[in-house]
Amino acid sequence: MSSPAVSDAQLIARVLVQDDRHAFGELVRRHQSVVRATLRKLTGGNHALADDLAQETFLLAYRNLRSFRQEAKFSTWLYRIAYNAFLADTRKMKELPLPEDTDVDDLASVDHNDAMPVARSAALSVDLARAMATLSEAERAAIVQCYHNDLSHEEAAYVLGCPVGTVKTHILRAKQKLKARLSGWGPET
Amino acid sequence: MGTDRTQRGDDWLEEALRADAREHAAAYLADDGFTASVLARLPQVAALPSWRRPVVALLWLIAGGAVAVALPGLFYDVFRGVIATVFGQPLTVSRIAVALIVLGAFTWSTLIYAAREE
Repeated sequence: MSSPAVSDAQLIARVLVQDDRHAFGELVRRHQSVVRATLRKLTGGNHALADDLAQETFLLAYRNLRSFRQEAKFSTWLYRIAYNAFLADTRKMKELPLPEDTDVDDLASVDHNDAMPVARSAALSVDLARAMATLSEAERAAIVQCYHNDLSHEEAAYVLGCPVGTVKTHILRAKQKLKARLSGWGPET
Repeated sequence: MGTDRTQRGDDWLEEALRADAREHAAAYLADDGFTASVLARLPQVAALPSWRRPVVALLWLIAGGAVAVALPGLFYDVFRGVIATVFGQPLTVSRIAVALIVLGAFTWSTLIYAAREE
């Protein structure tokens, strides 16, 4: 992918110095996809809620742009705001419901190894999404940041606001749970 | 994906998570008016009404006039004091230069203030 002619840092400077809303619009256009996709993962596929939280994320970013010290990438800073917005919403809503007609215990009981490769991959993706919804918020967030957003443990710790060791623990526990939930997908023993 | 972040040896689960991540990275979400709705929700710039500046100038003029009418003696004394001070000074080139600089700076700053954008 080619790098854009105007960097994020230059756009941020325009917003801060001239209150250039077109520049902020360009920042939103560049990052909306990853922020919305991340929130869709965090909310367990609730697109409407994810988009609401994404809007909230960018509004908070605009209001707090002066506090962005460039110690992290702009996208990482956005992930952090998005995660905090998600947490605030979750505290209001308490528990996230599982997607409809999901019986997570069934995921482990079916042997999927006989399925056709493409169908198998699609089915695994669906089951993985359902199994992800059973993780705790912190575990799901750690997986989303480290795998889907391709962040290092240190960057994920910054986003999630916790020590690096905690991120590693969340990932380890998440993978143990996913393995148990998706054991039907594992190699035959 | 960095090499330091995951426990290796989770084979099929690791591969499933990576495949899911690749799918996630490849799936670009079209804007579909998202940016426009964010921009529409940004806080509005505080716009001052266009009549504010002339009204403020008028109020200062009225206030000055009111003080001059209420305290005519003070006004006259101050005026005489200023005249006496200015014309009581010996006229030298350096004093004229300083007076011109002060007058120029005052005029310049007044023009800048008047022409500034709200």
